[in-house]
Amino acid sequence: MTDFRLTFHKPGLHTTVQDQGRLGFQHLGVPINGVMDKCSAQLANQLVGNDDTAPLFEITLIGPKVQFSGKGQIAITGANLSPKINGEATEMYMTTNIADGDLLEFGEPIEGCRAYLAIRGELKVQKWLGSASASASDPKTFTPQSLIQNRANFIVSSKKKTTIKSIPPTERPIINQQLKVRVMRGPEFDAFPKKVIYHFFKYWFSISRDANRMGYRLDKTLPDFKPGFEVISSGIVPGTIQITNSGQPIVLMADAQTSGGYMRIGNILSEDLDKVAQLKPGDLLGFELVEL
Amino acid sequence: MIYLPYGDSAMLINFEQKIDAEINQNVMALHRAMEVSGISGITFLIPAYCSITIGFDNKTTSFQILKNTIDSFAKEEMNQVSHSSARLVKIPVCYESPFKLDMLDVMEHTQLSRKNIISLHTSHTFRVYMLGFVAGFAYMGKLPKALQCPRKAVPRLKVPEGAVGLAGLQTGIYPTEAPGGWQIIGQTPLKMFDHDQPSPSLLQPGDQVQFKTIDKQEFYEIEKLQSVGEYKLEVTHD
Repeated sequence: MTDFRLTFHKPGLHTTVQDQGRLGFQHLGVPINGVMDKCSAQLANQLVGNDDTAPLFEITLIGPKVQFSGKGQIAITGANLSPKINGEATEMYMTTNIADGDLLEFGEPIEGCRAYLAIRGELKVQKWLGSASASASDPKTFTPQSLIQNRANFIVSSKKKTTIKSIPPTERPIINQQLKVRVMRGPEFDAFPKKVIYHFFKYWFSISRDANRMGYRLDKTLPDFKPGFEVISSGIVPGTIQITNSGQPIVLMADAQTSGGYMRIGNILSEDLDKVAQLKPGDLLGFELVEL
Repeated sequence: MIYLPYGDSAMLINFEQKIDAEINQNVMALHRAMEVSGISGITFLIPAYCSITIGFDNKTTSFQILKNTIDSFAKEEMNQVSHSSARLVKIPVCYESPFKLDMLDVMEHTQLSRKNIISLHTSHTFRVYMLGFVAGFAYMGKLPKALQCPRKAVPRLKVPEGAVGLAGLQTGIYPTEAPGGWQIIGQTPLKMFDHDQPSPSLLQPGDQVQFKTIDKQEFYEIEKLQSVGEYKLEVTHD
């Protein structure tokens, strides 16, 4: 059986290989990494009949230009970044047959921030500490293949075709530009003055330009915030909301550092974090306090 | 010990919130015990100065189950703390331009001269309390009170590899370029995290560290020696 190959003629803004991330090395300071929007990534893998945890491509706002050689199947989910095959718009959330020489490109970002491209079969990619996910720090050293560069190419050991499936619009994850997420009390919640907590849950924060896989800095600072004390550096988990000493909230995401020392006001529920992964600079985020 | 919920799939065990060698030894003992016991459902552990963060799979376990399990053996484990002998590692640091990015801020916060800051930073030995933040970042303490200064109000988007910084009563070295809010007073030419090595992190929790001042010329010489594997790290054992 012939192999299916991909060649990136353009890498896109930030295209990486991601899987479920590397768990169990956080005590050395190695971040978890892995797909930002787990739900969309899982659906892409399911559409091509791969394991839920198989490595796939995460594409950010400006998509890559990919040429295929050999026959294969792909699926694209998550953000709508106007995918086109050989210049014609292609359906998302659907198993798509690829012919030898087909060219996949992306256009205008319509909605959302991160699209997922799954390829049927086994994507041959070097792993580091049990995961193919691009390392957040020094990716060229730790995971040289996983941060997509110009001319990157991949071999996928092909499998027999799977039946064409599609996910109806009503069952796809909803992408919002304004989103209220559920937040549990963070470790230092009680150390925040009541007024700061009030504003935190009342405001709509816009996502600043400093928003990436490590974390989203939000554009508004909390008025009258003075850090009560220096937190002694302690473990960080994705979904943690830190308040910097200037009163600016930062939402920590999949590539977040493993520890930090800013006060932690809350933690976003895992399920809602997938939706946060689809917010882009300028979109609005609000918080709602919940008890588990 | 206090058990705190930390999102829907993690918990935080807070010890007495102090930078203290004995408390940190208890953290290391409990961390080792949890690694050995293989409690089901745990996905990762982050031992820190005086806390342990525990990631778990909320489909197979829960905050309450983990709390009960850990509570049942924690006290016993921490009574068996062994005082293993520590290494003393000397780390060369250049405290000159262009490396001393925040020296002026630190001088203002501490009301100390540059010379006094360097002398305080190089005359003490510090314990490595934890690795974290990014791969191989060693958190060390504790600083003499006179050197204490807050993190930057607005963290830098890029702190260079090797940068040596201060934050509160802690000092640390950035092993790779990363965003961060520590006040940078110098830079080491040493590679702190080398993923080709079997033990990739140059420093380990429990190590003792002393900084040693070098000038710019020495900085580049050491950098060159290390890149060809000819730099010999100064290490002594207790």
